[in-house]
Amino acid sequence: MSDRATEMPTPPALPTPTTVPEAVSPTRQTWQMFYQNRAAMLGLCILLVIIITSIVGPLLYTVPPREMVWMPLTPPGQSEYLLGTDYLGRDLLAGLINGGRVTITIGFAAAVLTVLIGVTIGALAGFFGGWVDTTLMKVTEFFQVLPNLLFAMVVVMLFSPTLTNIAIAIGIVSWTATARLTRAEFLRIREMDYVKAERSIGAGNSRLIWKVILPNAAPPLIIVAALSIGSAILFEAGLSFLGLSDPNAMSWGRMVGDNRPYILDSVWGVTIPGLAIFLTVLAISLVGDGLNDAINPKLRQR
Amino acid sequence: MTQNLLSVQDLEISFRTAAGEVQVVRDLSFELAQGEVLGIVGESGCGKSITALSLLGLVPNPPGRVSKGRILLEGEDIVTASERRLRQIRGNDISMVFQEPMTSLNPVYSVGEQIAETARAHFNSSRSEAWERAIEMLQLVGIPSPERRAHEFPHQLSGGMRQRVMIAIALVCEPKVLIADEPTTALDVTVQAQIFDLFRDLQHKIGAAIILITHDIGVVAQMTDRVIVMYAGRKIEEGPVSAFITDPRHPYTRGLVNCIPRLSLDPSDDPEPLFEIPGVVPSPSDLSLPRCAFAPRCHNAFALCLEKSPPLLPVAEGRAAACWLETEKPG
Repeated sequence: MSDRATEMPTPPALPTPTTVPEAVSPTRQTWQMFYQNRAAMLGLCILLVIIITSIVGPLLYTVPPREMVWMPLTPPGQSEYLLGTDYLGRDLLAGLINGGRVTITIGFAAAVLTVLIGVTIGALAGFFGGWVDTTLMKVTEFFQVLPNLLFAMVVVMLFSPTLTNIAIAIGIVSWTATARLTRAEFLRIREMDYVKAERSIGAGNSRLIWKVILPNAAPPLIIVAALSIGSAILFEAGLSFLGLSDPNAMSWGRMVGDNRPYILDSVWGVTIPGLAIFLTVLAISLVGDGLNDAINPKLRQR
Repeated sequence: MTQNLLSVQDLEISFRTAAGEVQVVRDLSFELAQGEVLGIVGESGCGKSITALSLLGLVPNPPGRVSKGRILLEGEDIVTASERRLRQIRGNDISMVFQEPMTSLNPVYSVGEQIAETARAHFNSSRSEAWERAIEMLQLVGIPSPERRAHEFPHQLSGGMRQRVMIAIALVCEPKVLIADEPTTALDVTVQAQIFDLFRDLQHKIGAAIILITHDIGVVAQMTDRVIVMYAGRKIEEGPVSAFITDPRHPYTRGLVNCIPRLSLDPSDDPEPLFEIPGVVPSPSDLSLPRCAFAPRCHNAFALCLEKSPPLLPVAEGRAAACWLETEKPG
């Protein structure tokens, strides 16, 4: 071998192309695609306005949301309170601004919890397979067959209806779809050559799960995570509408629920918070769809 | 004989199937010396790839397992080693280059990150040191302007470049044994030649022993020092490469060597039909019969071949073949 090796010239250098396209990371490509999507950008703008309003708004507009400030059932535009008042004479604009904080916080918190539980269970089930998979999938099925709303109501009733408990209850009932999706992605990706190659240079299980497979499974999970914020907001609205909201916090769903009996006397009392929920969820869906469009062409490329 | 780096003794690998346990590799023994290039040749399904995986403790289990034998790396048995120890061995002592460069790189990390990450995991070096090392490795495997290429993602590189990156990843921890499982099958012929030049060059520089798994006799003749021919999970011939090419002993080896098409433009040269070995590789579950596994495809088979499987017999200095014909004309 060695004598033959000495005769051999060094490997010929590959010719360098004069122009090499700039290295574009997958993340940047996705962002570029997203940026060109008008509907998604519109959704993102609406969402940003709503989020900024609910963060900064209560500091600028200091009318207390839960106190009687004017004649009950005043229509919008007929007093110094721009959006009118509800059946207890509370300012609807103040309710909207303060309720946005609660609604969005619960939406995000519940979505984070959904993703954490769902991804962990799905990843472990998909990666290890065998009895781990069977057990975890049985658990998932158990949660899947429980009626979501009833189960969440029970959880909230059992432990007092605080914001934290509501977020936890929503998270606990909605992680199953994420878990199934994560498991399916892991089952597909763990058979990929690059996973085997990583294993052959000494990668352990935790590295394979979190640093090799998860980043490759991320695209569909990001979309699901984004959309789950929307469904968590709707879920919270539903719970509040049924009276299961934190009595110490205003939220949009609760405003709709509180004003429901007076819908014939003041349409705006229900419509305004309802529109706010609608706009927020619509904006999140637009962003989610935009992400989907931006990420999927690359999935096909691979 | 020099100190052997790797010693495989009576290796048997079994797979559980619906039809019961089936041995895909049996009675396989071989030695690998420091700095040697060993070729393992055989048709698809003869057990060469699974043998390679077993050297890394990566036989998929279940359904497979190493059911017998020992694999000694500098005296340490890999078969009984703990998973923890195996992870240290993989990459550090033995590493592998796979057949498919197109799919063997992680698509979400840049190639530099992938090399650096491997270096970091094994050397505990800092992020910037590892990055330096990655660029060094890219340079070593002949990738032009490595500083820029290191930032590129696998889908931006050609097949040959990706295979160079794979080799860089495999060599970044300076393993003692490099297993190359048909490293060029997926590449163009011209790129194949470049990759083999690279292997030879690196082998000269780094001095790792190489196990080259292939079905390409031309590659074996060019690259290796010693050859093992496998058929249906068994080693049927072993010897130095020159003897393997010029004087194959086992009828199957003879067939393999004759299968190489020859280039000729001479019109007087009769374009004889390409030689082929009739039949197909028997499936491992057909091997329960005591006969020689190659007998149904062998031109020279006689009664004894159908009764008893031949043992591996020494036929010359450093050579052995498993064929009953060799017993009748000793030497």
